[in-house]
Amino acid sequence: MKRSIFKKGLRGFWWLTIGFLYLPLIVVMLFSFNASNSAASFTGISLRWYRRLLGNDAILSALSNSLLLAVISSLVALVIGCLIGYGMYRHRHRKLGWLIVLIYLPIVLPDIVFGISEMTFFVKINELTGLLSPGLSTMIIAHVTFQIPFVALIVYSRFVGLDPSLFEAAKDLYATPRQRVQFFMLPTLKPALISAFFLSFTLSLDDFVISFFTSGPESATLPIYIWSAIRKGVTPEINAIATLMMMAVAIAAIASLWLSRRRTVS
Amino acid sequence: MSDPQMVMDESLQRVEPQESAVGERGERLAASSIEMKGLHKRFGNDAVALNGVDLTIRAGEFFTLLGPSGCGKTTLLRILAGLEEADDGTLIIGGKDVTEEPPHRRSVNTVFQSYALFPHLSVRENLAFGLKMRGVGAQEREAKVAEVANLIQLGELVDRRIDQLSGGQRQRIALARALVCEPDVLLLDEPLSALDAGLRSQLQVELLRVQKRLGMTFVFVTHDQQEAMVMSDRIAVLNGGNIQQIGSPREIYETPINVFVARFMGHDNLYAITEREGCRVTTPVGTLELEGGSEGEFVLIRPETLDLKLGHVAGTNHLPGRITERLYRGSHAEYRIAIGATSLQATVNNRGHHLPDVGDEVTLVVSSEDLVTLSE
Repeated sequence: MKRSIFKKGLRGFWWLTIGFLYLPLIVVMLFSFNASNSAASFTGISLRWYRRLLGNDAILSALSNSLLLAVISSLVALVIGCLIGYGMYRHRHRKLGWLIVLIYLPIVLPDIVFGISEMTFFVKINELTGLLSPGLSTMIIAHVTFQIPFVALIVYSRFVGLDPSLFEAAKDLYATPRQRVQFFMLPTLKPALISAFFLSFTLSLDDFVISFFTSGPESATLPIYIWSAIRKGVTPEINAIATLMMMAVAIAAIASLWLSRRRTVS
Repeated sequence: MSDPQMVMDESLQRVEPQESAVGERGERLAASSIEMKGLHKRFGNDAVALNGVDLTIRAGEFFTLLGPSGCGKTTLLRILAGLEEADDGTLIIGGKDVTEEPPHRRSVNTVFQSYALFPHLSVRENLAFGLKMRGVGAQEREAKVAEVANLIQLGELVDRRIDQLSGGQRQRIALARALVCEPDVLLLDEPLSALDAGLRSQLQVELLRVQKRLGMTFVFVTHDQQEAMVMSDRIAVLNGGNIQQIGSPREIYETPINVFVARFMGHDNLYAITEREGCRVTTPVGTLELEGGSEGEFVLIRPETLDLKLGHVAGTNHLPGRITERLYRGSHAEYRIAIGATSLQATVNNRGHHLPDVGDEVTLVVSSEDLVTLSE
C-alpha cells in the first residue's frame, strides 16, 4: 500500500519535472501560431507571424549571420580542436598538467568574463593595428575559442577509448602517415567529429553573451536581435523565431545522432 | 572445427606454397631469415628491456620467444616489427638491414595480442587493409582475401562487423589479416592468451598447420612453456633482457642450461651439489652417480625419469623415501616423496599395475644418463 503511494509520488514528480522543462517551450510554440496580437489570449491558428518574419529584413539578416557564424566557427573549431585532441592523446603519458587546464578553462569560465575579455582584447588590437574591427570576424574568432575545448575533449575521449594497438596495426599493415590519417584515424573519428560539429554548431547558435560583446553594428545574430526586440515587449514574432530555433537545434541533434549511427548499422 | 582429415587433404593439394608465392612476385623468397646483432633497449633511465641480444632465426622456422613478463620478449618482437627502436644493434631480415626502416616499409606483419581489428571496417575490409595500403588493385585484393579466408576457414564471416565476432573468430581474422600480405616474417604477440583452454589448443593446431603449409617464418611470443613446446621448431628462453638458452623444445625441456630455464620449464626436482668426488655427487636427496664429464652446481631429476619400487632397495642411484602425497591424474599419477629433510616429485604412468599410496615406503630409481647437471 505504502509502496504504491511512493510509486505514484515518483511518477508525479517525473511529470512535474517534464512539465517544468517543456511546458514553457510548448506555450511559446503554441503562441507562435496565435492569430491575435495579444499574448494573453489564444484566438485561433494562423501563420501570420511566420509570414511577418519572412518580411522582416532585420530578422533575415540576423538569421543569416547566425547560420554563417555557426557553420564557419564550427568548421574551424573542428579542425583545430581535432588536432589538439590528437596531440593530447599522443602525449597523454607525459605530465601535461597546466596545459590541459588551460585548454579546458574556457569550458568553466563564465561567459560574461570570457565575452568582456575578448571584447577588450579585440578593441586593443583594433586600436593598435586597425584590424579586427567588431563584426562577424571577431565573433567567429570568439566562438572558435570557446568551441575548441569541446571538440578537443570529444576527439580525445574517442581516441582514449580505442585500443592503442590499432595505431600500431595501421603502421604494421603498411599504412604511410598520410594513409593512417585517411584510412584509419578519420574514419574511426567520424562519429566523434559529427557530434563535435553539431555540438559546436548548437553552442554557437545558442550563444548570446559572448556574441553580444564581440559583435559589431552589422553582425547581430538571432539571440542578439531577440534580446533587443524583447526590450520593446515580447511579440508573437519572437515566439515564431524561438520556435524555428528550437526546430533547428532539434534537427541538428537528430541529424548528428543519425549520421553517427548510420556507419555502425550498415 | 572441420574434419582434420579433410584439412590434411587440402594441404596436400597445395604442396608448394613457396613456389607459388615466388612465381607471382618473382622478386622475393617465400621465407626469410632474421639476424639480430647486439640489440640493446632501455626504457627511461633504469629499466633494461634488452641487454645485447644476438639471435639468428632461420627461414621458414617456427621460432618462439619464451619468458616471464618483463623478460624483454615483447620488446624484441616490437623491434622486429619496427614499432620500437633499438638503442643499439643491427636487425637484418631476409638479408636486408631494416634497423632504421619504419614499420610500414618492412615486409613484416604482426598478430597483436588484442587482435587490433579496425572497428570501423568489416571483416573483409580488415583483411584487405594491408593490401590496399600497398596499392594492390581491387580485383587482386578480392582474390587474395578470398584465398586467405578459405585458408583460415572463415569464408562465411567476411561480411560481418568486428563486434559480431567471438574471441576465437577475431583471433583467426587477425591472423588472416597479417597472412594475406604475404610478409617475409609473421610476428605473433601472445595471440592465444585471451582464449579459453579448449579453443586455445584448437587454434595452436591450426596455427601450426598454416605455418607448415605456407613455410613462412613465424616468430611467436609466449609466457606459456607448454604452448612453446607444442608449437616451436626452436625456442629462445629470455630473462632480464638476456637470452638464457636457445634450442629445440626437447633440448630446452630435457637439458636446461641453468636453474632459471629449468624452473621456467616447470622443473622442481633441482638439488644443489654439496660434494663432488669424480662422478659421485652428494645432494640433499642422497648420493648420485652422474655420467662422466658432467659439470655444474645443480642436478636436475625429471619426475618422469624416476622408477618407483616398493620397499627400501639398495643400489646405485637408488633413493629411499616415503610417499607424502599422491595426485591421481588418470593416465598417470604424481607423487611427492619425502627424502630426509627434502622432497622429490615423481610421475608414474598408470599401466594398470599397483599404484603405491600415501605412507608407503618406496625407493626411487634413476639412471645416470637421465640426470642433468646445470649451473646457477
